[in-house]
Amino acid sequence: MDGTCQVALIGQPNVGKSNLFARITGVGVISSNYAGTTVEFKEASVIKNGITVHIHDLPGTYSLSTNSPDERVVVDMLSDDSNDIVVIVADATDLEGSLVLCFEVIELGFPVIVALNKIDAARKNFDIDAEKLSDMLGVTVIPVSAKTGEGIDVLVDTITRGGAKVSDMRVKYDSHIIDCVEKLGIMLGPGKRYDWGKRIKLLEGLNAFTDDIPDDARIGIEEMNEEFFRHHGEPINVHIARDRYGEAHVLTQNAMKPTERKMSRGERLSDMTVAPLTGIPILLGVIVLIFSCIIFLGSYLAELVEYAYDVVIGTAIVDFGISLGNEVLEAVFRGIDQSFRAILGLIIPYIMVFYIILGFLEDSGYLPRAVVLLDRSLNKLGLHGGGFIPMMVGLGCNVPAIMATRTIKSKRERMILITMIVMAVPCSAQIAIIFGTTGAFAGLFYSLLIFFVLMLLGISIGLLLNKIMKYEPSNLAIELPDFAIPKLSNVLYKMWTRTKDFFMIAVPLLIIGSIVIEVLLQYNALNVIVEPLSFITVGMLGLPAIVIIAFLVGILRKEMAYGMLVILAASEGFASLADFMTPEQFVVFGVVMAIYMPCAATIVAMWKEVGAKETVAISLASIFIAVLVGTAFKLVLTAV
Amino acid sequence: MTTGNREDYLINILRLTEGEGVVKTTELSSYMNISPASVSEMLKVLSKEGLVEYEKYKGVSLTENGLRQAKNLRRKHHIVERFLVDVLDMDHNSAHNEACAFEHSMSNDSANKMCRMIGAKVDSDCETCSDPCNGMTDSADSTFTISDMKVGDFGVISHLICEEPDRMRKLISMGFVPGREVTIDSKVSSKGPWIVRIGNSIIALDKGLSSLVFVDVGRK
Repeated sequence: MDGTCQVALIGQPNVGKSNLFARITGVGVISSNYAGTTVEFKEASVIKNGITVHIHDLPGTYSLSTNSPDERVVVDMLSDDSNDIVVIVADATDLEGSLVLCFEVIELGFPVIVALNKIDAARKNFDIDAEKLSDMLGVTVIPVSAKTGEGIDVLVDTITRGGAKVSDMRVKYDSHIIDCVEKLGIMLGPGKRYDWGKRIKLLEGLNAFTDDIPDDARIGIEEMNEEFFRHHGEPINVHIARDRYGEAHVLTQNAMKPTERKMSRGERLSDMTVAPLTGIPILLGVIVLIFSCIIFLGSYLAELVEYAYDVVIGTAIVDFGISLGNEVLEAVFRGIDQSFRAILGLIIPYIMVFYIILGFLEDSGYLPRAVVLLDRSLNKLGLHGGGFIPMMVGLGCNVPAIMATRTIKSKRERMILITMIVMAVPCSAQIAIIFGTTGAFAGLFYSLLIFFVLMLLGISIGLLLNKIMKYEPSNLAIELPDFAIPKLSNVLYKMWTRTKDFFMIAVPLLIIGSIVIEVLLQYNALNVIVEPLSFITVGMLGLPAIVIIAFLVGILRKEMAYGMLVILAASEGFASLADFMTPEQFVVFGVVMAIYMPCAATIVAMWKEVGAKETVAISLASIFIAVLVGTAFKLVLTAV
Repeated sequence: MTTGNREDYLINILRLTEGEGVVKTTELSSYMNISPASVSEMLKVLSKEGLVEYEKYKGVSLTENGLRQAKNLRRKHHIVERFLVDVLDMDHNSAHNEACAFEHSMSNDSANKMCRMIGAKVDSDCETCSDPCNGMTDSADSTFTISDMKVGDFGVISHLICEEPDRMRKLISMGFVPGREVTIDSKVSSKGPWIVRIGNSIIALDKGLSSLVFVDVGRK
């Protein structure tokens, strides 16, 4: 080895791959207690024994046997010649399932090391003979625990010392399958390009491999498939899988002996959360808990932050501005002070609280249960239960939510889901605005009313699009992980990685933005925009004309709209935001903020995922609906 | 005349016809190494019992009832043979000969249990049989899908039926593979999703997918 070593980390969803990656490299990655957290692969390196080990964390994959886009990514990454070795992360608590993926990787002829993760948990129920497993697989098996850190050093050591082996272990397939593999070998001619594992993949009909084979071989494969089906009554890929699981079963029996086992409390609780009688009340309870945490913890923290800001910074920034003795500069510094207050008072309380709750939910393993419970209801909106997770993620930020829809295969379902997320699922900045302005100045009732209206909007979008778009069935199959007690450090870490953007991007943007706006305000340059659009702001929505600036800035980033509102209020001569608008106006402002126009980052994400035409259509529709709903709110509120 | 002998006829007719065609009496007699006269005598009996359709000079075929019995027999044969080869490490030939005797005396229940014990590879690789074996797939009691099962039911997946290869692949990749045992943990509503325990994992399947997975059901 020449000083560097490229390692691909592969494993089934939820085997603790991301945690292991973090353990090895010291680089944090977001992990959760459900399948499919890593949508795109990540990379980091670690130096040991003088060798730099580059580790690529591939998305979790149950097998290498489907044609789904996320598995295709894994297959392509694996086939990339730059990888020196493949580390397979196996789950010691579900060895049988993990071994099937091991067989696939081993058969494809990669140099392999198996990291037998969750060994600490597995030992509670089984005696595991890693050496025997190692002998049977023909590769090194290292028991590790990403949770406790056990075995990580040994693993890295083995990687750097060239401990990866190409095994000649082969699954004992049906003799008919072996005949087909051999016939295919003759058809394709000799050469490493189509060795044993690849030929099996060809028989399984995997696009990633069949794309570039000669036509006569393609026809040959089809004929073999047909002949096999005639004789065995099942497709060859089913039979191949059957043989793999058979082999995995035998190996597991040989390597693991069950110790006395009791049903853990986690398992019993697992039954209750998906049973119809108890599941729905638990789900409702969880939702109520989420909202009360955001509302009460959020507003409590908001006061705390405001107090802290007064104590630590106080009027220092404003005083500095005054000391400069220039009217424009003084206004600029006043603006900076206000944006600091706005953003700190907004992010820390609401956004961070939300991400802490989301972190707990994700790590506990509850989310997939909610998916299962909601499946049938979401069916009516043209989605399957899996759509619930992107929606939850969307309550934090719409960008990762749109990325998360990649796991959904049907294009139609993705369109429905993305439209719903963009229009009807408020992101954490929008939630903060709803609670921080509407809730604070018009009352909690109105902020909850906005959520209710958003829910109705989401349902209508689903029902409508489900009717309009062509029907493509899609099905739910989701693994329910064991319940786990979330680790505070992981929850806080995830919260930090997800909110640091607000500090790194939103704060500087807001400061620059506030400077620009203050200067423009000083020279009355904004009238160019404010006046022509006042037929919407004043005429339809009944808001102060200047609020349009907040809406426009909000397209850049939603939380900036709030900061801008504070600055605008001050520039109009109002000491407090509460005096700037009436409670009714704050309700209208909140509801328009929640619906209109996705932010710049969301637009980019949508553009990449569903295309330009759809992005423009959804964005325009959102403005239209926002103005419509806002006007309706204004009419009703002024009539009452 | 013993049951064993009669069942031998059924299974051998199945081997020669594969459930569709007709086999001549002479063919059967040379295959089973029994005189044509005895064969036609026996076929008359089987015909009376409604297990075969027999016309002199034309040949014999299995009725629906006969086919079912024959397939069930052959399935037992495969299970025993796999057991002898895989677990007891016997060679194929003697395993086959012994399975020929076992298949008649074994109850359905113990066949199912033995099948579950040896796991996945029951119907495959029966090298000594005259023709490919699809015993498990057509076995008499595998008409249930997961969506027909009740909470607490368990069984071994017998086969998957799906027109779309990609949905089939999805099921396979999540571990729904013939030969694996599934247990129904709970059901969210009467129309699903079904919460299924398979191996060491728990997976929720909606109605669409769960009605594609056929299971040999045994109740607790």
